[in-house]
Amino acid sequence: MSETRYKTLRDVPLQEYLAPGNPLCAGCGATPVLRMFLKALEGRAVFVNAAGCFTLLHVYPYTPFKSSWMYTAFASAPAGAQGIRDALDILIEKGKVPPEEDVKVVCFTGDGAAYDIGLQSTSGAIERGLDFYYLVYDNEAYSNTGFQKSGATPYAAATATTLPTKLQKEGHTGSKKDLFEIWRSHKPPYVATIAPSHIVDMLRKIEKASKYRGPKLFISFTPCPTGWYHDTSESIRISKLAVECGVWPLKEAIFGEVKHTYVPRVLKPVEEYLKTQGRYKHLFHPQRQEHIIKTIQENIYQYWRRVAETEKLDIIIPPA
Amino acid sequence: MRDVKAITSNLAAVEMMKVEMLTGNVAAAWAARLADVDYIPAYPITPQTEIIETLAKWIGEGVMKAKLVQLESEHSMLTAAGTASLTGARVFTATSSQGLLYGFEMLYNIAGWRAPLVLVNVSRGVAAPVTLEPDHNDVLAARDSGFLQFHAETCQDVLDLILLAYRVSEDRRVRLPSIVNMDGFYLSFTREPVHLPSQEMVEEFLPPYIPTLPFRASRPVVKGASVLGGHIYTYFKHNIHESMRRAIEVFEEASRHYGELTGRVYRPVEGFYLEDAEYVLVMSNSFTTMGKRAVLRLRDRGVPAGLVKIVMYRPFPSDQLAELLKNRKAVAVLDQNISPGMGGIIYQEVAGALYHQRNRPEVLMSVIGGLGGKYISLEEFEYIFDVLQHPEGRKPNTPLFLFRKDELESVKRALGLAGLGGEMG
Amino acid sequence: MLKIRFHGRGGQGVKTSSRILGRAAFLDGFIAQDSPIYGAERRGAPVVSFTRISKTPITERGFIFDPDIVIVMDETLLNDWLARPLEGVKKGGAVFVNAVSGFPPPAGHDDKVFITYDLTGMALEIIGKPIISSPAAAAAAKITGLISKSSILEATAEELAELDLKDELLEKNIQLAAEVYDVIPTPAINTQESEPITREVSPLEYEPVTHEEVIHLDISNLGNSALRRTGNWRIFKPIVDPQKCTGCLVCIIYCPDSCITLDENNKAVIDYDNCKGCMICLRECPLRAISSVREVRVYA
Repeated sequence: MSETRYKTLRDVPLQEYLAPGNPLCAGCGATPVLRMFLKALEGRAVFVNAAGCFTLLHVYPYTPFKSSWMYTAFASAPAGAQGIRDALDILIEKGKVPPEEDVKVVCFTGDGAAYDIGLQSTSGAIERGLDFYYLVYDNEAYSNTGFQKSGATPYAAATATTLPTKLQKEGHTGSKKDLFEIWRSHKPPYVATIAPSHIVDMLRKIEKASKYRGPKLFISFTPCPTGWYHDTSESIRISKLAVECGVWPLKEAIFGEVKHTYVPRVLKPVEEYLKTQGRYKHLFHPQRQEHIIKTIQENIYQYWRRVAETEKLDIIIPPA
Repeated sequence: MRDVKAITSNLAAVEMMKVEMLTGNVAAAWAARLADVDYIPAYPITPQTEIIETLAKWIGEGVMKAKLVQLESEHSMLTAAGTASLTGARVFTATSSQGLLYGFEMLYNIAGWRAPLVLVNVSRGVAAPVTLEPDHNDVLAARDSGFLQFHAETCQDVLDLILLAYRVSEDRRVRLPSIVNMDGFYLSFTREPVHLPSQEMVEEFLPPYIPTLPFRASRPVVKGASVLGGHIYTYFKHNIHESMRRAIEVFEEASRHYGELTGRVYRPVEGFYLEDAEYVLVMSNSFTTMGKRAVLRLRDRGVPAGLVKIVMYRPFPSDQLAELLKNRKAVAVLDQNISPGMGGIIYQEVAGALYHQRNRPEVLMSVIGGLGGKYISLEEFEYIFDVLQHPEGRKPNTPLFLFRKDELESVKRALGLAGLGGEMG
Repeated sequence: MLKIRFHGRGGQGVKTSSRILGRAAFLDGFIAQDSPIYGAERRGAPVVSFTRISKTPITERGFIFDPDIVIVMDETLLNDWLARPLEGVKKGGAVFVNAVSGFPPPAGHDDKVFITYDLTGMALEIIGKPIISSPAAAAAAKITGLISKSSILEATAEELAELDLKDELLEKNIQLAAEVYDVIPTPAINTQESEPITREVSPLEYEPVTHEEVIHLDISNLGNSALRRTGNWRIFKPIVDPQKCTGCLVCIIYCPDSCITLDENNKAVIDYDNCKGCMICLRECPLRAISSVREVRVYA
């Protein structure tokens, strides 16, 4: 636990593997995370992508990448990762590729692919014990197509297909799938949540995961200025707030055993987080929808009460 | 001329080959084994499953060095096949019918990636209704994807065409994936004698696969980037088309070499009793054997009948086909598929190939038969030739739908039993 | 027929501008057609949209190659080699540029009428955001000399209501459009159909078998995206105060575009060629060593 090379931001490697000039939105919350993964893996990796915002990271003939990249299809990036991993394994075994030419395989998709259309493929890859990383940038909707609801969209968020109306005051009436738990139920060596604001936590997790052979899975909180309607400068601040309000718990599970890696002593009221984003504006304007805000808040408290109990943590949470 | 296949006299080579009773499925597995494939992503579906079971067994026993991984769907199977091929592995995979359609979008990707893998499709009619026996709607759906397609008549064809497909696909002038098609049941589960070339022969025929910029630590590369802008997109698509057209010559070159080694030479299209034939049937796949039998019967009766078999379906050998069909009196195209609202798929393509041929046949008739594996009896084949000889009063481009009276009665009885129609059968 | 081409950046309201103008023309009894083109680019990247206005049925679609009027919604686009907003503008046509101050027509373009106005400044003042769909449409409407004020205001209200803009914000946009409509002149522009542009047709021919390799969809020239110059997406520009900067790395780590590095004195330096101006660095700098100014790069 103590033998980490990442203690402060000073320990972040300065070598860059993502060149400037990518065509993604200004203020994108996913690119800092991608940069950190590239740094941690020292660019010796193939990033296998599914359809999503980052498909447009490479528009022919340009690339900001200094590592390898493979675009597959919407539903099957983990299977694409499988093919590359298996091919390298057998070619090395047969002596056709020298072992020093080996690369790590990272499946890199948005939440639409991870939570919805590619869930089956991920489940298969984990069950097969594929030695790979999965990094999902979870911006909680199909952002690339104009921000429609996905399986990752939280309760009450407005999206292009769950607009708050007179008849449907909440916006999205469903709730966010718990992908961490879905993945964890497969008992892979490593599953973690990360956030772009918490860089040291993130790098330590990649470092820890790298010690295991098998599926190493990461879900990254990903502010999306374009879909969440916040200023481009706010992405990191919103990420911090999500952690401090308990909206986005930072945790890991090693072979299924869960541990929270950062525990806010006092949870900030979720309102502080909700108010930063246009997608929750209908909860406050023109009238405050108290019961919805309360439901969101109570769900968060409930989560942390359970965590406090199982992990014997000292968190100040108002009683139910 | 009984057959256009040139029989070389390389008897020594032929003697080096073992002959075994093999099903089409096991012949396919043997081809993969002889080609020393590295990777086999798999997913079960009838009637293809025996191929992957056989390969799994061989790998388990250690007689074959490859990695077989069972994926969780054909879509994933084809994705893994494509990326493994780009990484430098020689990849073999197989599917059927619904499975091919489930993985369909990946076919276009694999071709666009220029990943030269070989996929065996064991034809099976496409649901609904769900069925098991063959027709070619599955494999023909893939005709526009950029995969080369080879269609087998015999279990021997299955083995030989897979080896030829690797050679042509991996050729740097082509670099496109291949589908080798065999009919479910009629080949997949049918045993017949198959010559197995020796490992040395195959090694001489099939050089190692040299991938283009595979994923390696020392040389990162971006693959599958998006292309926005119709002109660049068009240029890439045209390049695939051009490589496809080249594949005809590359196939003929490879086939000559294969013939020198094994005595068996394949042509993109092959004729049977064509020399003086006036009435010609065009068809493909396993039912061709029955078609040839009908031609022989008609010859016995003095009818100048002949047959053309399409071996290479993509690229479509238009020029070769037109050459074989010129100066014939009447030609029928037997489609074991249907494009509802249009008719037979291959008929359209043959018509296109003939349009600019001088002395093209006066009659080009469309015939549909064998859907869902419906047997085509000798009487039905002979009926086709009867119509070719007396086409008066038939609109040739309105498909002649092969069916028999006893079958019609059987259908009516079934409908009645199912509760349709007035009375119980 | 009058052809109007809008050039702007994702997020400025380029598509909406063309739609407001299209609807206004429709309200005034013309046959209109409006359309955007989507590319890979995101918020901040060059975008283009079109409006065609005609008394007779329109027999064209898609990109406008020979516009009568071009609306450049961001002056920095004039320098953009990908956007090339002045390309194809007819002799005697009009070019509107959203710019802080006026400037003479760029070299080679003195046969066109140039009109400049600071729409962004006005939008920031009235609605508080650099979104200029309504004023840009109003400017275009006035330049055409065909669209009435009432129609452009009605079209603005209808289009923005469709985007769920309500009450106060909608009112402010209409106010903005009205003010711009009043202040922009209607120049005499040449609306004659121009000579069609002739370019040589060169069909892709089949080349017989050669030993050349096929073309692969690979990119091996890694990191070449810096050539795209995303720096011209910026509306605001971050500036590091080297006196305050301690080289703590925070801005470098959080920059989504890898645009900040440390110089030999351990101070943060920004790659202005590619910085998109998201201002995460400004927001996160623990020492408040980064400030922001409006990006102004007059075309010269």
